[in-house]
Amino acid sequence: MFWRILGQLLRSSRGRLAVALIALASGAAVTTALINLNLDAESKVSAEFRTLGANVVVLPHANASTSIIEVKQSSAGQVDSKAPDKDQLAAPLMNNSVVNRIQALPSSEGIVSAPILYIVANVPSGEASQQVIVAGTWLDRATQLAPWWKVAGDTITDRSDLSRCLVGRSVAQQLNLAPGSSIELNYGDGAANRNASLTVAGIINSGGQEDSQIITNLPVVQTLAGLEGRIGLVQVSIPGTPTEIESAIARISAALPGLDVRPVPQIAQAEGRLLDRIRGLIFFMVTLILVLTGLCVFASMAALAMERRPDVGLMKAIGGPMSRVVRLFLTEAGTLGLAGGLLGYVAGIFLSRWIGQRAFNVAISVRPEVLPLVVALMVAESLAGALPLRLLSHVRPAEILRGE
Amino acid sequence: MFLRIVTESFARTPRRKLLTGAALAMGMAVATATLTIALNVGDRLSAEFRTLGANLLVTPKADTLPLQVGGVDYRPVNAGAYLPVDELPKLKAEGFFWRNNIKGFAPFLDVPLDVTDLANREGPAGKGLLVTLIGTWVHHRLEIGNGESFETGVAFTNPWWRIKNGGRWFEEDADGCVVGESFALRAHINVGDTIVTRNDGEAPQLRVTGVLSSGGAEDDAILAPLFIAQKLAGEPGKFRRLMVSAVVKPDDALGRRDPATLTPDQYERWYCSAYIGSIATRIEGTLPGVEARPIRQIAEGEGKILGRISALLWVVTLAALIAAGLAVGATAATSVLERQKEVGLMKALGASNVLVGTFFLGEQILLALIGGGLGYSGGVFLARWLSLSVFGVTSPARVVLLPVTLGLAILISVIGSLIPLRRASRFEPAPILRGE
Repeated sequence: MFWRILGQLLRSSRGRLAVALIALASGAAVTTALINLNLDAESKVSAEFRTLGANVVVLPHANASTSIIEVKQSSAGQVDSKAPDKDQLAAPLMNNSVVNRIQALPSSEGIVSAPILYIVANVPSGEASQQVIVAGTWLDRATQLAPWWKVAGDTITDRSDLSRCLVGRSVAQQLNLAPGSSIELNYGDGAANRNASLTVAGIINSGGQEDSQIITNLPVVQTLAGLEGRIGLVQVSIPGTPTEIESAIARISAALPGLDVRPVPQIAQAEGRLLDRIRGLIFFMVTLILVLTGLCVFASMAALAMERRPDVGLMKAIGGPMSRVVRLFLTEAGTLGLAGGLLGYVAGIFLSRWIGQRAFNVAISVRPEVLPLVVALMVAESLAGALPLRLLSHVRPAEILRGE
Repeated sequence: MFLRIVTESFARTPRRKLLTGAALAMGMAVATATLTIALNVGDRLSAEFRTLGANLLVTPKADTLPLQVGGVDYRPVNAGAYLPVDELPKLKAEGFFWRNNIKGFAPFLDVPLDVTDLANREGPAGKGLLVTLIGTWVHHRLEIGNGESFETGVAFTNPWWRIKNGGRWFEEDADGCVVGESFALRAHINVGDTIVTRNDGEAPQLRVTGVLSSGGAEDDAILAPLFIAQKLAGEPGKFRRLMVSAVVKPDDALGRRDPATLTPDQYERWYCSAYIGSIATRIEGTLPGVEARPIRQIAEGEGKILGRISALLWVVTLAALIAAGLAVGATAATSVLERQKEVGLMKALGASNVLVGTFFLGEQILLALIGGGLGYSGGVFLARWLSLSVFGVTSPARVVLLPVTLGLAILISVIGSLIPLRRASRFEPAPILRGE
């Protein structure tokens, strides 16, 4: 009986219910899409942040000097700067193997790390010679870590290329270098003097420190400085959300006792802030949409209540208890919410696909756990929207039946 | 006649009109708010990105090669060129086109230093400690003319620099300094110690006011007021490099082109847009003898991330607009649906479908105008509040959105009404009036 009346009710005012259903379903679709998006946006935006380069550096312990260039001011006020000798450098350096240990960690997927060794070398220019910072690294990894380098000429993407180098823009200007020219590097003085001859592959324009450096593969610099197997720091790029990054840092620190593993606060802070902003915006959008949907359900339910007055009058007149009538209408509203939530979820899947495609060029993964959430939200919303139906309990059967 | 029918209709069923109007106003408030936020989001996010620090580097044009690793220049003081501090107010003065985009700048002067003599103790094992002293501004009040001033310094260009607990930044005009955390560890320096710089003439004694954690090469250096570095280097009123933090427009197709290849028209547009390249060009035109270059790590990454996020927010806005449109259209449809009897009566009295449609649509448009207008003003407040709670600053209202909102309200409610109207117009009046 109950279900038959319910079916009758649903059928008789289907126009109006369809309207409420549309409102509910569209609200549910957008809510589904935004919740899916919120869960994914964090990892997607974090991935974008990796274009800013390394977010973690590994250094010899903080107790040691992180500076690898010693500049001496003599007591006479004369200032001269010289490259550090081997003994001075030995302390703050690490072993090559650090990089392999980072990459060998379990779940190190997506982690990119590159070792760097900086030295100051002399480059003969005309009569005099010019001091230049030479960075030795793994160029295949370094170019991956620094996608913002604009290289005129050839870039080097092979770690085993020991005959070529990249030079910074300012170095090229200062020393009149072009892709293809050769360059002579001297290190140390007197008997310990070593040198290397390299071909310039390309000119880097970065706007940063690389503009005034010469960058080449690590073994070249290690041999030149007589520091075989030693590196100054490791740059690491860890993908993932801020929490994932933190746990990766903890794992790396645990695997590298005695070394200083630290996040680059410049990037970590900007990332955290921006993610907060996006989350805040999405949260507010979802709230607004829910309020709006609720209002529309309310509006159509109010209209429905007006329309149903004769039905309720009749039910009451033939002795139907009000509690049963209310249950009837609540079930109706609940069914509506359920249907709206389900429909909206399905539409929301397509909406999230589309949003993901437009905003990130990848589909956003659909999460099944959003379904119960959205359906529950819509049922609650629809029940709240059904409040006007309560007015019906004030209906007096006599008046209705008289046609007033 | 039309007016009479419409006023009658509003007067007779004020509650229903109120509900439809409220749904319209609410929907349009959401539309206005999301669109206002989306229109301003570029500026907002670009401002957020300034937590990444400076995006422009200004150096002397004719300079020797810097020996720079991280943020520290290891060159001796007698090599290379310097720039005058006096010129810096120009970047915020009336004549500079992008002065409102410049959020902060900090001049730097690095001096190699031997700090063997710590005032209250011997250097470790009597060996000299070599370190770089970085002279800069932290919270510097710069007079920019017309009695106005501008506060700038590393607190604005490098906001992630932190003074560790128990310390504070040095005063701009006192003999104080802050030591990097690695150097503090290495040299066993604590807050309150005094560092004596060895120099022939005046040797400032620097009181350590705090320990700096920067995450970069500055952690192994000493930071001091700019005037102290100038004194130590014997270069009063000079600095070596300037880090500028500017709010920029992310590079699009035009921004990425080489300015030399642009036609005069395009160049004009490029020159007047806040692209990082065009700001750099104007800085070079304003400060004599400088070279201004975008720091590509920041500029490129920022452009990419900004592009992605604004695309994301536009799509979200669009989705919200669609949901609002559907909900509002549905409500408008209800308001027509429940008046089928009236349609029947009008038709029974001989009104054509067109006439009936005109009445109803006229009413809906009137309602849309009122609801849309209310919604717009509500949306302005909503946007302000939203922006304040998400970004911490208010978004300026966009008057352009008023006609957009009104048009949208009319469009949605007309489309929402047309569907039930078409259905009603197909009915014969008699069954409707009988109540079937």
